[in-house]
Amino acid sequence: MTTELSRRHFIAATAAATAGLTLRFTVHGPMGPSPAEAASAFEPNTSLTITPDGLVTVHILKAEMGQGVGTALAQIVAEELEADWKDIRIDYPTSDPKYGLMLTGGSWSVNWTFETLSRAGAAARLALIDAAANQWKVPASECIASRSSVRHLPSGNSISYGAIVAKVPITKTFTEDDLKKVPLKKPAEYKVIGQWIQRLDIPEKTNGRAKFGIDNFVKGMAYAKVAYPPTREGGKHTAVDDSAAKKVKGYVKTVVMPDLVAVLGTSYEAAVKARDALKITWDLGPNAGVSSESIFKTFAARVADPDLKEWYKEGEVGTAPTVKTHTATYMTDYVAHMQLEPMNCVARYEGGVYDLYTGSQFQTRAVGVLAAVLKVEPTKVRIHQQYLGGGFGRRLDPDIILEAALIAREAGRPVKLIRSREEDLLRDFYRSAAVQVLKAGMDGSGKITTWENRLVATHPGTRWGPAFVDKQGLDQFALNGADHIYAIPNQSVRAAAVETGISVGYVRAVAPNYTFFAVETFMDELANLNKVDPVQFRLGLLGNAPRLANVLRMVADRAGWGKPLPPNTGLGVACVTAQEKKSPTWTASAIQAKVDPATGAVRVEKIICAVDCGIVVNPDGVRAQVEGSLLFGLSNALKERGTVAKGALVQTNFDTYQVLRMSDVPAVVEVLVVPSTEYPTGVGEPGATTIAPALSNAIFAATGARVRSVPLLPERVLEAIKQKA
Amino acid sequence: MVKLLINGKSHTVDAEPDTPLLWVIREHLQLTGTKFGCGKAQCGACTVHLDGAAIRSCQMPVGQVGGKKVTTIEGLDPQGRHPLQVAWIAEQVPQCGYCQSGQLMSAAALLAKTPNPTDDEIVSAMSGNICRCATYLRIKRAIQRAARGV
Repeated sequence: MTTELSRRHFIAATAAATAGLTLRFTVHGPMGPSPAEAASAFEPNTSLTITPDGLVTVHILKAEMGQGVGTALAQIVAEELEADWKDIRIDYPTSDPKYGLMLTGGSWSVNWTFETLSRAGAAARLALIDAAANQWKVPASECIASRSSVRHLPSGNSISYGAIVAKVPITKTFTEDDLKKVPLKKPAEYKVIGQWIQRLDIPEKTNGRAKFGIDNFVKGMAYAKVAYPPTREGGKHTAVDDSAAKKVKGYVKTVVMPDLVAVLGTSYEAAVKARDALKITWDLGPNAGVSSESIFKTFAARVADPDLKEWYKEGEVGTAPTVKTHTATYMTDYVAHMQLEPMNCVARYEGGVYDLYTGSQFQTRAVGVLAAVLKVEPTKVRIHQQYLGGGFGRRLDPDIILEAALIAREAGRPVKLIRSREEDLLRDFYRSAAVQVLKAGMDGSGKITTWENRLVATHPGTRWGPAFVDKQGLDQFALNGADHIYAIPNQSVRAAAVETGISVGYVRAVAPNYTFFAVETFMDELANLNKVDPVQFRLGLLGNAPRLANVLRMVADRAGWGKPLPPNTGLGVACVTAQEKKSPTWTASAIQAKVDPATGAVRVEKIICAVDCGIVVNPDGVRAQVEGSLLFGLSNALKERGTVAKGALVQTNFDTYQVLRMSDVPAVVEVLVVPSTEYPTGVGEPGATTIAPALSNAIFAATGARVRSVPLLPERVLEAIKQKA
Repeated sequence: MVKLLINGKSHTVDAEPDTPLLWVIREHLQLTGTKFGCGKAQCGACTVHLDGAAIRSCQMPVGQVGGKKVTTIEGLDPQGRHPLQVAWIAEQVPQCGYCQSGQLMSAAALLAKTPNPTDDEIVSAMSGNICRCATYLRIKRAIQRAARGV
């Protein structure tokens, strides 16, 4: 797809996507009676189905990409349904408009569905009680539900949910208003929520049976390989010679479309050989000269632009009295998703319907984009959801699904399209590089009176279309975190969204990775400038955020803050309101690191993280997600540096783009979870955003040298040490 | 035609001898528990056993396998109850799960040779296997648990 073409498609697609955005707090359709009354299934809403065998299948509309989301969401339903956990099953339905918005990201899954799933379960329970009471001709108020059965208290009569579904008419209906009035349990009454329940998807992930997108086969399929242009954006083929490809054993067909060249083979290896035998002339397009140097030069120029758009404001920075100021510039490099399952899709086009087998984080958008490009009704595009071999935001974009669908249509047969790792990295939508200039003004007592942040990056929403940016053309998900929660009277965040020729997307924990790196490192700088302990300095500004102050105190205590440490060893902290200030998981980390002053090499010895995410649905699931997000953040902070040359990423595989391995894992990684009865938020990402700043602050504590570029590579640490000396 | 002995069963496959064993296992024979991650022995997702030794199947031309016994995750234990698989569930190791077949095959080869590995031996044997979800803490605990026989 050329940029111009894809943008047009995405604009057409956003109608569907934005329509869905309003649905997120509603139950998907009012509850109706069971369609057939006997020996059928009870499907009170799109969240669950109860069958006569007594099994309760909870339909998981969120992508399972490692969060254990299916188990957590099923726990929420089971709690109010009063279902015995042994009766619970889960599935991942094929996309359908009846499900409303199908989107997984932003650490939103539990936060967005906790109430609706609770009500769905509660309403189904009330309908089952009503059915049993009618059958017994007793008042429903004399009946209770427990462990997948309804019991009539005075008589002791009991009937299982399965028997009700098999034998008893279920007639109670709920309007949306009724649903809102259904009483829900108090946290003290929970029996399933908060329990240490094993994840339902784990057994099949230990024996090879778990089915990912890449594990699908359909009858009559061929293997497809695409020939991608050498530049990330704007490249286009001008001539294709497939004479040598045709001689490859197993060659099936060449597909040439205006924006796509592909070869089909009878096997993956035949398709690779045939594709490699193509002779293609490329027009590299306008970005062939783009490099990291040119991009950072552009960003540095824009960050000084007086016309940056104001995105966030408190008070008035221009008029506040300041006695001294401090300014610092923070730079962060491109980061790739590197989900371990390369992008892939099996596509079949038959009878006017596209069947796509893949793992998607945003089925609503995938269906919208495909329907617009393929010029079919959205109902003719079906995403058959599979396990995701890592998501991290990569599978929000439907590029591989669209390619597979186009090739299947053009070739007239089903295809399996698998990118190599090199292609996956070349065609990734990276986390944007960013330049941020922070400036604080202080009064005579050292109190911060003004805070300014100027932030330049590429915004994914620009590519996604108008529905994904604000009136100023800014994407909130490329900026959030810059609107930190510290009580500073005058604040201004100004930003520019700058296109570079390198496509960007949403990578786990998204903007708060770079915004909180700047905010939390700058806070440390200000504390040190004012000769105040960094923990005390933050606490002094967190009077309105007691839950954040609490987790910060917890990690400081646990990490032994203030106690003497060995030479070249330091402790740093960071605390954040990720993923969004409106629905934060209050998160703080303390990191202990040792720096080799001769080489700049950093060894992280200890990470202590405390989270307050409200109600904890699955305690081990929360721990696992926090552990994973911390180490993902450590991988970003220590190792991952995407660089650009000739309009494309320089790195091609795990040998040149290094990620965290077991040998890099600190000896101590400790997660503290605050018990809470507050409404739940999400835990898949926030931990990641604490790592780069806490580590930069630990390096400063160890050496007195301030590193303001992520990743915190040894050469950068060494440079900072030299500058200090 | 290439003959292979996989998980105790003979297979005859129509594949070129230079085809990586990985693609024969995954796509020709549809034993999909073995995963593709990088294609150049950098990530370990494709790890299988060749006569009991852990190898990266993406780098093994199928024509060079000969009569050697290939074991994949599907053949690690007939019931899926290898001590490591039991430990993997007890420690709730997998997140997305995509790398875990490779992790288990590397760990199984380690324990077969070194039943009571030290921390350093675990790290050294497992650092060729990438887990992007970073379940490393739990992988290590599960290997220790299996080694202890609990």
